[in-house]
Amino acid sequence: MNSAMTLQQLVHGSPSERATAAEYLAHQGTDAAYAASQLTAACSDTESVSDWAIAALEQLGPPPSSAIDLLASLAQSEKTLTAYWAVTLLGRAGPDAAFHQQVLVTLLLNSKDLAVQEKAAWSLGRMHADSSEATRALQQAAQSPETRLSRVAAKALQQT
Amino acid sequence: MARRKSKFSLLMWLLFSGITGSGITGYLKPNIPIIGPMIANFTDKSQGLVTGSQNLLTESASGLLNNQASGSYGGSAVAGRLTSARQPSRGQQQGAVQPTTAAGSHGNGNLLIASFNIQVLGQSKISKPGMKELLAHVIRQFDLVAIQEVRAKADNVIPDLVTTVNSNGSRYNFVIGPRLGRSNSKEQYTYVFNTNTVEHDPSSVGTVNDPKDLLHREPFVTRFRARTQSPAQAFTFWMVNIHTDPDEVPEEVDALADVFEVMQKARADEDDVILLGDLNASEKQLGRLGRLPGMQWTVSGVTTNTRKNKAYDNILFQGQATREYTGRWGVYDLERNLGLSREQALQVSDHLPVWAEFRVWEAPPPTSSVGRPSLYN
Repeated sequence: MNSAMTLQQLVHGSPSERATAAEYLAHQGTDAAYAASQLTAACSDTESVSDWAIAALEQLGPPPSSAIDLLASLAQSEKTLTAYWAVTLLGRAGPDAAFHQQVLVTLLLNSKDLAVQEKAAWSLGRMHADSSEATRALQQAAQSPETRLSRVAAKALQQT
Repeated sequence: MARRKSKFSLLMWLLFSGITGSGITGYLKPNIPIIGPMIANFTDKSQGLVTGSQNLLTESASGLLNNQASGSYGGSAVAGRLTSARQPSRGQQQGAVQPTTAAGSHGNGNLLIASFNIQVLGQSKISKPGMKELLAHVIRQFDLVAIQEVRAKADNVIPDLVTTVNSNGSRYNFVIGPRLGRSNSKEQYTYVFNTNTVEHDPSSVGTVNDPKDLLHREPFVTRFRARTQSPAQAFTFWMVNIHTDPDEVPEEVDALADVFEVMQKARADEDDVILLGDLNASEKQLGRLGRLPGMQWTVSGVTTNTRKNKAYDNILFQGQATREYTGRWGVYDLERNLGLSREQALQVSDHLPVWAEFRVWEAPPPTSSVGRPSLYN
């Protein structure tokens, strides 16, 4: 299965084809990075697709720079798993994704999902976010009663 | 820094002992049960299915399995194991014993303990033609397998798999932990074990409490004992099953150092702690866990993933305490042992099982071994 065919199946295939494509990508390790944004969107698919999409995302490492804009858009998805993984990949991209730090600031402040907030704080640290908004949001999160959120935010402040 | 670590260890110990219901004295009085809160919840939901002190999670496999026999550890239980398990040819680190080229125990009276991340072990995987049989065959190579990445909303996946394991007359059983994970995507740990050769302590099953949320998927711990004709002398040990978050490996392996120390103190009568799983780290990336005094890891200098370009999985213990380790370990090569192509092996998992061998008799304390002829040199 070549890359174009895999992406075609993952995005436009039948449920069975989408699951097969996601599983195939989960076997590719970092070689699946080219499909980072499509896999992130697939996290909101049916369970048989999303389980494999998540497995692929766990191991694919940083996304290619060409995927960053789309990931920033997906980070604003109302579908929690898609947002969670988009934020995670933006963090893995590091400073290359710093242009989108405001998206993460908004999620850190406003997301209703604690796991997304925590990942947003983590990602801001990874990308060495340097805006005043990012610093303020992280300072606020560092005071959160949520133990992990406050710890991750405090660590991110040391990285910014 | 050392003082901070010490305080943290104490905190984790207190929380583990307190919240699991055993109380601190539970570790000093082995008869007081240690039940993790999430396991207890699972059990509570299924009241009526449990009889006596039997563990529900074990009981859930009854009907599929014979009751655990109280007989002795028998060499015949390992008959039928593959002879072609390969081990790496290089790699020694901090006292790790040079791997040999032999395979499974084959009735030599030792325990083979494995860790296997079976990627996305769920309904879709076990529904593939031949997959259950293949996984069952791999599991039967070992006496006790710590499995990571059970991902299923239904509860039938592991019971179905164990039924297949036992379809050849084997007598395996399992214990399974709660669904864990920060996002909506959850995973479970499980132990699948040969009841002819090893038994678990139903009162010592639980999930490590992690009040600071340092670990994405808190370790699932269970205490086991080798089945022998003399249970009082049999090798007993904690198993600590872990799958770290690949994005937070340095933080998590450091936290695992505290977990390890907590488990070492969990019971006054238990010095053996075997921490194993998918660490997403090679032996060179074990952080504070690898720097604990006397810490020994079995897998070294080899890759453990199916694509054979990463070392993720390992089996660790404190060398002086766990002298039951024979020095034999390996990575079970799915392609070589099962005649699979790389693509077929990847359908099984992106990880290979890693294993180590242990004697079934408890090693005497190091101080009392002086001058005694012993298996444990």
